[in-house]
Amino acid sequence: MKISTGEKTFYTINNIVIFLVSLTCLMPLLYIVATSFSSGAAIESGKVYLWPVDFTPAAYKVLTVSTGLFKYVWNSVVVTGVGVALSMIFTIICAYPLSKKKLFARKKITFFIVFTMLFGGGMIPTYLLVKELGLMNSYWSIWLTTLISPYNMLIMKSFFENIPDEIDESARIDGCSEWRILLQMYLPLSKAVIATLCLFYGVTYWNMFLKVLMYINDSRGYTLPVLIQQMVFQLEQIKLGTSVDLNQVAGANQVISESVKSAGVVVLIVPMLIVYPFLQKYFVKGVMLGSVKG
Amino acid sequence: MKTDTVKLQRKNLMTDSMKLQRKMRIKENIPLYSMLILPLLVFAIFSYGPMFGLVIAFKDYRFIDGIMGSEWVGLRNFRMIFAQPQTVGIIRNTLVISLLTLVTSFPFPIILAILLNEVRSKFFKKATQTVLYLPHFFSWIIVGGIIINIFSTNNGPINFIIEALGGTPFQFMFNHTSWMSIYLGAGIWKDTGFNTIIYLAALSSIDPSYYEAAVVDGANKWKQITKITIPCLIPVIVLQFILATGKIMEVGFDRIYVLQNAMVRDISDVVSTYIYEFGIQSGNFSITTAMGLFDSVISLTLVLLANQIAKKSDNALF
Repeated sequence: MKISTGEKTFYTINNIVIFLVSLTCLMPLLYIVATSFSSGAAIESGKVYLWPVDFTPAAYKVLTVSTGLFKYVWNSVVVTGVGVALSMIFTIICAYPLSKKKLFARKKITFFIVFTMLFGGGMIPTYLLVKELGLMNSYWSIWLTTLISPYNMLIMKSFFENIPDEIDESARIDGCSEWRILLQMYLPLSKAVIATLCLFYGVTYWNMFLKVLMYINDSRGYTLPVLIQQMVFQLEQIKLGTSVDLNQVAGANQVISESVKSAGVVVLIVPMLIVYPFLQKYFVKGVMLGSVKG
Repeated sequence: MKTDTVKLQRKNLMTDSMKLQRKMRIKENIPLYSMLILPLLVFAIFSYGPMFGLVIAFKDYRFIDGIMGSEWVGLRNFRMIFAQPQTVGIIRNTLVISLLTLVTSFPFPIILAILLNEVRSKFFKKATQTVLYLPHFFSWIIVGGIIINIFSTNNGPINFIIEALGGTPFQFMFNHTSWMSIYLGAGIWKDTGFNTIIYLAALSSIDPSYYEAAVVDGANKWKQITKITIPCLIPVIVLQFILATGKIMEVGFDRIYVLQNAMVRDISDVVSTYIYEFGIQSGNFSITTAMGLFDSVISLTLVLLANQIAKKSDNALF
């Protein structure tokens, strides 16, 4: 089919519009990276937009020296790593039985879980429960209260339901137990949904903010988001002259709070930028599955 | 008479065999149930447990007495909420902010999905989608950090541009109107791309023969979009809208917490920040639980109402 000139202009304009919209998604990121690597003087004179001016890693040096960054990175890694592993195990052993049509009272049990998406006790009763269970100041408070997301469980469940029953039956005839069917037949077939849910849980744990703020009182246990948030706030104070000058703290010249804040944000983004491209091809399917089946 | 007894017998037989079947089914399911025990226990403790904790909304909770031992006070906490202009203002802010968020951020994913659907180069489509989905995975700490930097009066690029164009620097984060615009804009920036996924899925299921027929009849692109694409999207749009109304009382804590400052407190204090500050930090557990309960009940009512409406259009969730 031949394309008319009218259509050609439409496609061109459309492409330009989408390109510009994508740029607006990208530009703030470029700006943050640029300021984190620029010298204070360049930022103050308004020269920095999308590319570092007077390239210097000094802001990262100040960040690591003044905050003890690595400890918080490690905390975040522990919270995320253990959290994702626990959440995946529990989501799988919850979704697998519920995906079996022969399971007695399956609808009722599913409703028992889905209801928690609609109504919950809220912040204070959950806080008091965690406190009474003695989980304060322990990452178990975060892992246990985040363990199974009903939404993710439903995604997993609908994925399992789409695996043909014949696989299940043939394995059963061969004398496999439920566990073996799950581990050796279902899980190898579910790599796509496992990757999707690992991303979703990973992002949740990595970005966890309020729960850490609530349940972890000892600031040595804080994770990266809490550190960065407090730093952004505290550096605001430095600028207002209520705290010591940053250059004296770290002994690095030519660094201003803006670039240190940017460096903090970049540290928070980088792990996601590394993981995201590999998992992107999976999650679109996962989201569609979850939204359509509710 | 005879047929009746036969029927009765048959019925007894049926129920007996059904009972047996049920027993067998349950027995057969034991390994599956044993798998479910731990997850269900987690839901029972960490989701249903706090629901019982909600009784402190009707009590005067004191830590020494515990949840059970504290004194009942009836609806006093609720009366206190509605007697204080501060808390009424917070409920109003919550409603206003969510409604504005709903109205401003709802149309963009639809428009963007329609545009993306018209992109012909596969590579270009993939590349732009990758970039567009990305901000969704950033936390509000990241987005807030970026925003505070960009709109800052000290060395913020926006104010540099304004100065370069001959204007005077403007304190974006301290002005009510501009703060609200930035708050809403940040939401649009973060989630528009990701929310196109569901619409793109709907678009990909439209029968291409509609378009072919339209082209034969001489319909241009605009006509194709308004007469085919949009009508085909309407069921999904309705469903998404219903889902969104169900979340009307839900204003995230992180988003407000990172963007808020003292200058805009009177319009930006919402239920979740109030519960954190007045409840957890200051220990006023009962009154903030009452506030949270009020909030959840409204949300639940809205979800159920929305689902009833959805049932009429065959889009019900449950």
